[in-house]
Amino acid sequence: MMKQFLAVLSLVALLGMAMAQTNIEFWYAFSDDARSGWIQDRISEFNEQLSADGKDYQVVGERKGSYRETLDAAVLAARQGTPPHLVQLFEVGSQLAVDTGIFEPVGNVGGGIDLSDYIEPVINYYTIDGAVNSIPFNSSSPILYINKDLLEAAGLDRNLVPETYSDILSACETIAASGIEAKCIGFNLHSWFFEQWMAEQGAPLVNNGNGRDERATEVLLTSDAAKNIVSWIKNLNDNGYYTYTGKLEDWDGSDAIFTNQQAVFHITSTADLGNITAATKEAGFELGAGKLPIADGAERNGVVIGGASVWLTTGHPEEELEVAKDFIIYMTNTENMVSWHKLTGYYPVRNSSVDELTAEGWFAEDPNYQVAFDQLLETIPNQATGGALMGSFLETRTIIEEAIQKVLNGAEVDAALEEAKKLADAALADYNSNF
Amino acid sequence: MRDHAVFKSRFLPWLLLLPSLIILAIFIYFPALQTFVLSFYKSNLRLGTRRFTGFENFYNLFAGAFAPAYRQIFLQSILFSASVVFIGLALSVVLATFASQKIVGARVYRLFLIWPFALSPAVAATIFAFLFNPEVGGVNLILNELFGIKPRWLDTPWLAFMLVVGAAVWKNLGYNIVFYLAALQNIPKEYAEAAAIDGAGPIARFFRITVPMLSPMTFFLLFTNLTFSFFDAFGIIDILTRGGPVGYPPFDNAGMTTIMMYRVFQEGIEQGKSGFAAAFSLFILTIIIIITVFQFRYGSRRVQYGDN
Amino acid sequence: MKNRYNWLIHLILIIGCAIVMFPVVFAVIKATQTRSAVLTPSLVPGTEFFTNLRAVWVEASLWKFMRNSFVVAIAVTIGKTILSLFAGMALVYFRFPAKRFIFGFILLTLMMPTEVLLVPLFDLVSQRPPASWEAFWLWFRDPRHVFLEPSPFGFGWANTYWAIIVPFLASATGTFLFRQHFMAIPQSLADAARIDGATPFQFLSRILVPMSVNTIGALAVIQFVYVWDQYLWPKVIIRREDYQVVQVGLNLIIGTGEGVQWGYVMAGALLTLIPPLLVFALLQEQFMRGFALSESK
Repeated sequence: MMKQFLAVLSLVALLGMAMAQTNIEFWYAFSDDARSGWIQDRISEFNEQLSADGKDYQVVGERKGSYRETLDAAVLAARQGTPPHLVQLFEVGSQLAVDTGIFEPVGNVGGGIDLSDYIEPVINYYTIDGAVNSIPFNSSSPILYINKDLLEAAGLDRNLVPETYSDILSACETIAASGIEAKCIGFNLHSWFFEQWMAEQGAPLVNNGNGRDERATEVLLTSDAAKNIVSWIKNLNDNGYYTYTGKLEDWDGSDAIFTNQQAVFHITSTADLGNITAATKEAGFELGAGKLPIADGAERNGVVIGGASVWLTTGHPEEELEVAKDFIIYMTNTENMVSWHKLTGYYPVRNSSVDELTAEGWFAEDPNYQVAFDQLLETIPNQATGGALMGSFLETRTIIEEAIQKVLNGAEVDAALEEAKKLADAALADYNSNF
Repeated sequence: MRDHAVFKSRFLPWLLLLPSLIILAIFIYFPALQTFVLSFYKSNLRLGTRRFTGFENFYNLFAGAFAPAYRQIFLQSILFSASVVFIGLALSVVLATFASQKIVGARVYRLFLIWPFALSPAVAATIFAFLFNPEVGGVNLILNELFGIKPRWLDTPWLAFMLVVGAAVWKNLGYNIVFYLAALQNIPKEYAEAAAIDGAGPIARFFRITVPMLSPMTFFLLFTNLTFSFFDAFGIIDILTRGGPVGYPPFDNAGMTTIMMYRVFQEGIEQGKSGFAAAFSLFILTIIIIITVFQFRYGSRRVQYGDN
Repeated sequence: MKNRYNWLIHLILIIGCAIVMFPVVFAVIKATQTRSAVLTPSLVPGTEFFTNLRAVWVEASLWKFMRNSFVVAIAVTIGKTILSLFAGMALVYFRFPAKRFIFGFILLTLMMPTEVLLVPLFDLVSQRPPASWEAFWLWFRDPRHVFLEPSPFGFGWANTYWAIIVPFLASATGTFLFRQHFMAIPQSLADAARIDGATPFQFLSRILVPMSVNTIGALAVIQFVYVWDQYLWPKVIIRREDYQVVQVGLNLIIGTGEGVQWGYVMAGALLTLIPPLLVFALLQEQFMRGFALSESK
């Protein structure tokens, strides 16, 4: 009797164990169906592989809205001791993420990670204090989008690609004089572009080696490089060449201005190349692309790699973290990065993916993708293009954007930047004094 | 306090009160105490750090680098609350008075006027967000058709401010009208009739009889509407404008639709500065207490009670 | 003399009603249109209402948000009504020391809306609970910890229903309303009940509750609408879609950008509006009477 009972009991226990799969949670920030659908597809593929291998794990993806909300949700969950295993975070949250202490550098998990295949500027960004903290996933940089048909309508060469601020200004002059209805240039009011223009001039955004030698203590918003940028925007605006929706960080709104042919030039992320190419075909005009126009007289240093990476959190059994890590490596493997790039325009972060795309003739087929790619590959690795690290990056972004908006509303460049520096320094000092 | 006590038990009343008292103590009084305590700490939600810093948070609030922003936010919060309360109550009292007249279809009118009682800030803001969307919203599609203009309602400083006020007033109209209608039922008809016989016109009767007779209700609604505009309007602002856009000088230190509660959320939750947010909350709490005391001290004297 | 002004009254009321109704009528019409018609000025109702409804209900998981809101709103409404009833009864029908103080203690919370307490409440609800009772006791027995330092512990309730139910179970408004109402009930009834040998709970269930239908109805309407409409607290403390309430969920459906499916969103907004509207419609009589009564006292 007792034996039978024990047998049944152990059977039940066995069944229970078979049923009890451990969930590996992955929180990500994309809310659009195409991107989150792509991630969900990779998750199902990986889970099939897991069950084929007889492992009792299962990856569960959950979308969380913006990057900021994703980070906050992860911190909140970690406070209660129930953090997800994997969190997709944006690049400017890096310092903050390290400081929260809820993340485990990916190099510490299992056998670490083989970095040899990753594109250098990408790894450059995510290396903090000599360690790679997270696995690069979606990376992008801003490029110039050109409506070739409108260029021609304004009496300019349809293959014109302005390289510098003054190139843009002189093209704008012709466009305005031509009397076509469209404005010369539109881009959304986002600090990201400002940061890129700083890097292009080789100018750090914060002190102490752009925050990479030591914790930054000062935001360098009154440097000549910063003034070049804001003066140019003011110049564009005062001459009536510039247009935006009036809303800060309005990516979709400024894309709409361009695809509705209300602006000849447009600056936005390479990650929108897929969407904009599709929209221009629908709208019936020819799309051109150029590298991000830079300040006159500056050597082209290149761009800071933007986008996001995936972080592992602490406080999980080693085995779960390894499965989590394996999943991210699977999601960003050669083949998957190729399909991700084709879907979105985000850079494939692996050299092997680039080789595959080149072999396929992908770049030859659409030279706009080539432009985006050259810009990244020609980037000179240094502290400016490595990207700034500061704990108060989110606040700083708002301060920079509001300062530029003030300039658009009539404020003087120097005064606005001085005011902004004062605020950004105060926010940074406030953040640093937490430690 | 009149004494109705009939049951004798030393134990039972406490048992009946205990659940309420425990919940209020833990979830109201303890956090209130913690607000006070936390306001003297530098504390960060994300980093999990806490350090006693004395009056630093208060210094930052009143004299730090961002003080001009807080002053602007304080000013526009007052302006926002005053607009919402005044416009909201004025509209409601007029509509409620008309809808309580003995006319054909009064019931139907009342139905159409009070249903927004069930409207939430989020739903109201969601509908407004679509209605006033610059590209695809109904209002601009119509304006564009008629006059060829497409105002950017949510991105133009004063327009955005007025829009948020409008949404808040609309959301609260049903609530106000419901309570005014209830109060109007209690005004004895003889007053109006007597005044009419004395030769007072309808407008004179409205100001001399209806408005004073409604003052206890107005007094009550003033308080609930003020609370609404301080706190519940959060949802409207979060969905419509997220506190933006930055205005023209002197309103260029912060987003024009940022009310105090919204800033507390931004700094305390979004930026994780919980100590500072606690100090800011304490400031708001002080304002609420001053208003309440002021209302009960001076407001209640001028109030006309119906059954006197 | 009345007729002279009637047309004016009608005119003003019609304009007033039109303004109040316009946004929601607009929402209703747009919720019925096709994807392309939604983006035109057309105000002709379409035929896609159920398609939009299905889309928002299933694909955008509005059903989940609605379910969560129902659980929370019903739990809080019932809990609040019962606790307020008990507290009101204790305050009126029993004699005990410090009664005025207790009443003041309850009433004073009216001045402290939960929003003002957002940050510490967030800490209290979301921080990890103490590891053991000893750890808790070590903290609790020293008043300096409790009164002078930020609390290191919490309930660990973030991302659960508890976080949006328990803190709202007690109500100063409810206790006040019931107390006022009980004071208005003739003393003789209570005396008679006691002479008949009724226990306090028999008195409560056989006399007080039946006599308080209007007050209970009024309170239920207020509380249900209040909880259903909550936005800030769930937004802050619930960061998982599975437990999110509908008001915040609606905003998740809008997402960001211009590519919003406004037809779906309008259908979602209307669905969100229906439950409090129903509760209000069903209990409207009690609500009006419940208030008229307490108003005249």
